[in-house]
Amino acid sequence: MNTLNSSTAPAAGEYAGDEVSAIVLDPGYSTIRAGFAGEDVPKSVCPSFYGQIEDSSQYLFGENAIHTPASNLQIKNYWGSDGIVEDWDTAAKVWEYAITSRLTGARAGDPARNGLNDDPKQENGEATDVDMETIENQEKPLEESPLLMTEPGWNPTKAREKAIEIAMEEWGTPAFYLQKTGVLAAFASGKASGIIIDVGASHTSVTPVLDGMVLKKGVQKSPLAGNFVSNQIRLGFKQSQPEIPLTPHYLVKSKTPVDAGSPAQAIYKTFSVPPTDSFRHYQEERVLTEYKESVVEIWPGPGRLSNGTNEEIAKSMPGRPFEMPDGWNQVFGVDRFRAAEGLFDASAALTDDANPRPKDEHTLPRLVQAAVQHVDADQRPLLLQNIVVTGGSTLLYKFGDRLNYEINAIYPSTRNKLIAPGPVVERKYAAWIGGSILASLGSFHQLWISRKEYEEHGANIVEKRCR
Amino acid sequence: MASGRDVRDMLGLPMGVDAQKSAVQKRAKAAAPVRRIQGVAREVAALYGERPPPVAVYEEKKAYRAKRQNQGPAKKWVQQPFVNQARVDGLILKHWRRKPTIAPPVQDGEDAPMEEGDNVEPYIENSGDFLKYSIQVDLPTFTDEEYDAYLRSDDWSREETDYLFEVVKDYSYRWAVIWDRYDYQPANKSHLTQETVNGDASQALATLPFAPPKQRTVEDLKARFYHISAKLMKLRIPEMQMDAEQYTLYETLSKFNPELEGNRKLLAAALMNRSMDEVKEEEFLLAELQRINMAANRLDAEREELRARLEHPSANQQVSAGLASFTSSQALQALFSQLFAQDRSKKRASGGATGPSRISLNTNDLIQTPSSANAQLSAAARRQSMATNQSAQTPVRTLSPQQEYRYNVSTHDRLTSGVTFGSDKLLKMRQAKSNVQTQKIAAALAELGVSEVISLPTIKVAEVFEQLIGKVGKLLDVRKVREKEEGESRVLEQMKQRRSSEVQNGDASMSNGTSVEPQAKHEVPDSQEQTPGLDGEGEADDDDNDNDGDGDAHGDGDGEVDADAEGEEDDEDAEGEEDSRVPSETLSRAASTAHKRSASVLSQGSIQSSKRARK
Ligand SMILES: Nc1ncnc2c1ncn2[C@@H]1O[C@H](COP(=O)(O)OP(=O)(O)OP(=O)(O)O)[C@@H](O)[C@H]1O
Ligand SMILES: [Mg+2]
Repeated sequence: MNTLNSSTAPAAGEYAGDEVSAIVLDPGYSTIRAGFAGEDVPKSVCPSFYGQIEDSSQYLFGENAIHTPASNLQIKNYWGSDGIVEDWDTAAKVWEYAITSRLTGARAGDPARNGLNDDPKQENGEATDVDMETIENQEKPLEESPLLMTEPGWNPTKAREKAIEIAMEEWGTPAFYLQKTGVLAAFASGKASGIIIDVGASHTSVTPVLDGMVLKKGVQKSPLAGNFVSNQIRLGFKQSQPEIPLTPHYLVKSKTPVDAGSPAQAIYKTFSVPPTDSFRHYQEERVLTEYKESVVEIWPGPGRLSNGTNEEIAKSMPGRPFEMPDGWNQVFGVDRFRAAEGLFDASAALTDDANPRPKDEHTLPRLVQAAVQHVDADQRPLLLQNIVVTGGSTLLYKFGDRLNYEINAIYPSTRNKLIAPGPVVERKYAAWIGGSILASLGSFHQLWISRKEYEEHGANIVEKRCR
Repeated sequence: MASGRDVRDMLGLPMGVDAQKSAVQKRAKAAAPVRRIQGVAREVAALYGERPPPVAVYEEKKAYRAKRQNQGPAKKWVQQPFVNQARVDGLILKHWRRKPTIAPPVQDGEDAPMEEGDNVEPYIENSGDFLKYSIQVDLPTFTDEEYDAYLRSDDWSREETDYLFEVVKDYSYRWAVIWDRYDYQPANKSHLTQETVNGDASQALATLPFAPPKQRTVEDLKARFYHISAKLMKLRIPEMQMDAEQYTLYETLSKFNPELEGNRKLLAAALMNRSMDEVKEEEFLLAELQRINMAANRLDAEREELRARLEHPSANQQVSAGLASFTSSQALQALFSQLFAQDRSKKRASGGATGPSRISLNTNDLIQTPSSANAQLSAAARRQSMATNQSAQTPVRTLSPQQEYRYNVSTHDRLTSGVTFGSDKLLKMRQAKSNVQTQKIAAALAELGVSEVISLPTIKVAEVFEQLIGKVGKLLDVRKVREKEEGESRVLEQMKQRRSSEVQNGDASMSNGTSVEPQAKHEVPDSQEQTPGLDGEGEADDDDNDNDGDGDAHGDGDGEVDADAEGEEDDEDAEGEEDSRVPSETLSRAASTAHKRSASVLSQGSIQSSKRARK
């Protein structure tokens, strides 16, 4: 076997990327990340939720458009429950919006008229506006840029073919490639092998990666992720005595401060036609995310929250205050530990009729165990030395500590190492960053699926080329 | 964030010097206390608490910036279209390149040949920069004939073998990945329909194996692949013509044992899946084992020391101890010459007839050892150099021990030059290393009634005297040890008494049994030897010597001593008895009485003290 000579150091510039202004697109359940390869953060992060005016085909995309209460505005998401795109038509539109709104923009025209040389004051605002017209005007938005897209580890062939079809046919990209989020997240941490634990919004996945290739048999996924935690918080609010009111921002006109635990004194807005339930739900979700960010804490171990005196210890820890948009506020004690305990311990999850007890095999420790079990025995220690933690929900306070404890409890005899990048951006956008690295490498150019190849072999070429 | 280091890591290349540097820097950074976010008021920063802020905060650093070099007009850059040589489809992508201002000399490199003027048809660069990363794997190939002739297998169809080779190629010998992706479908429907479009279906069906797809393990895959590789290798290069490297490769390929590998993996997995308890238990057991080993070593060392003190090398021990004693080359040489001499004398006796009467050694045998040369030489030069050559004293006629005794003939290992008096030898024996010891020996001898000057210092007398001196030395040693032990036991005794007086008389009967415990803690390894009495060690040694003394005068019935020697039957006792019987009768009578007396005198103290201790 001939490999590169590993004993000589590479010359300077040998790895300097060779950027071809490729675009990296990392769609997720909560947000879509898009940006140019070679940059270190995605320039365009836009919600996967979109608005649709009922009984019309008018879509609203982007952060600014979907938070304004309007009558008949339905908030939807094109994702299916298991991390596979369900509504391809809209998906393509939202993705296109994510790309064109901030990255490619309008075609470069005459410099005198393209707006770039105008008075800077008038220049703003254009980017985020939902201007379907300009998008439609452009024939093919990606004619200039190769596109690297991410996909979950269990993406079915159909979905993969659909992705290349959209990129080639609708966007006219000259070259395309699909890579798994797990591999890219590992790349972002500088690892070619490892176990990638990605706790996103709709699902959690554990992906063993060896030399930049996903070990498909080991890929595990579960629905216990950010949305599950949000639901747990909702349940907790509902089940607490008295019930904790959850009022989203858009309902509140003004508020006055009140004491902890006492009813809110706020003036609420009134709507002639109240916004739809889906709108309210989405807005509530924003409050919950805020709550997740600032209050929810994970019992760091040792042991589970329900073990022995752990709950007592948790009770004795100082609480954390949280104020709802309408001014209602309280200090949350042990309850804040319960919201996310279900990620690790199914029996600790809050349940009701609509939310059955999660399955044991969907908890994180079990997922990791199952993933490792499906890997060749020789590679297991190597993988356990590189456990990459990524995804927005891993930002839950003390998540890393608990995960570390759980993994060491399962594999006490190996050296287990968690790689959890500190900066928020790297955690949330790891897959995109990995894609950015990959697509800017000169050595990656030969992997692109070119338009010519696509036309020759058809959409099924992704199966052969993007393994 | 991703840096050159990450890229290097990803591609499995070594970290350069700068990579190490950056690693060091990183560590230093990580070790630094909580990073202060600049540009945010301290009070605001405090609100974040220990969590990372939910929104990424970017610092506007007033970092050093290199001064802009302003040399001439701005350089122009162009989006240069290029084709990658590693691709076959001629995909044209664009990357940014400096636009050359003047026609550059023709050189190899990406932006080398550049047309002058902008309006000439766009130049497309031919980039081969990254060609070196386009690596194809080497795979053994075979023809259909070869397959039919050598590579057939009951377990593997030709189709599956081909599939295996394809997968190995696709995943570049990464077996874990190959196994993960290995998914051979012999009767793949889509495959079938494609294939049978022009052929007739029944024929296609007939050729397809109908066995359900097997679950192959990594070992199965490897075994098949290695087997084929080895066979092909042998076909291409006959075994004899392989160079070392090829041969080792061939060896490893052909010696692959899937079962062994499988078992090894099972064990590895089992090792990894141990529970916390098992891991802890193993750690505990290992620590325990180490502890036991250390204790055993210590015990051995102590025993060794004791033995060294007790043992005295007896003159003819080697011969009696059998072959095991012939460890030194000298001893071996002596044996050889002895046997050689026997051989020779036998030969002479039987009139030179060799064969059956030969004892086992001839010169050829002797050649094997380094001493054999010596022996041969000595055999040749025996007559001339009898005095100087140590092994050359083989007498012309062997004397029986009785005869030797009778004629007072002796054989020596080594003769010192010159003439010595036997009495000098005896005198020398009285001297010990230290003055005190010499005096003690003298005192002991005086007590035994051995006069300063022995009137008839024959060899036998010297021998017996030597043994006597040896025993006296041993005795003195033992006494020293015993005194030490006694002192210790006295201290412990006092401790015990003090404790028992504290504990009160109520459980005094109990304390007898338990009193050993604190002692046992002090000297765990000794505890066994101590069981018969509190100062068993000293006592036993005494008995040993007592018995030596008694050996010849057994009938006397030394009541005192015997009473103490109850149940003490050591090897050493027996040996001592034998030893003491060897000396001739000339001295024995005098010695035995003296012995007895001395023994009783010496043991008196111990008896008293041990009796004290027992109460
Ligand atoms: N600081 C935080 N603490 C806790 N949870 C957070 C934090 N920030 C984001 N989240 C949660 O993380 C989730 C979004 O994570 P991420 O962007 O990785 O998901 P995604 O990739 O869009 O979804 P998926 O991977 O399921 O397709 C949301 O549920 C959000 O509530
Ligand atoms: Mg994700």
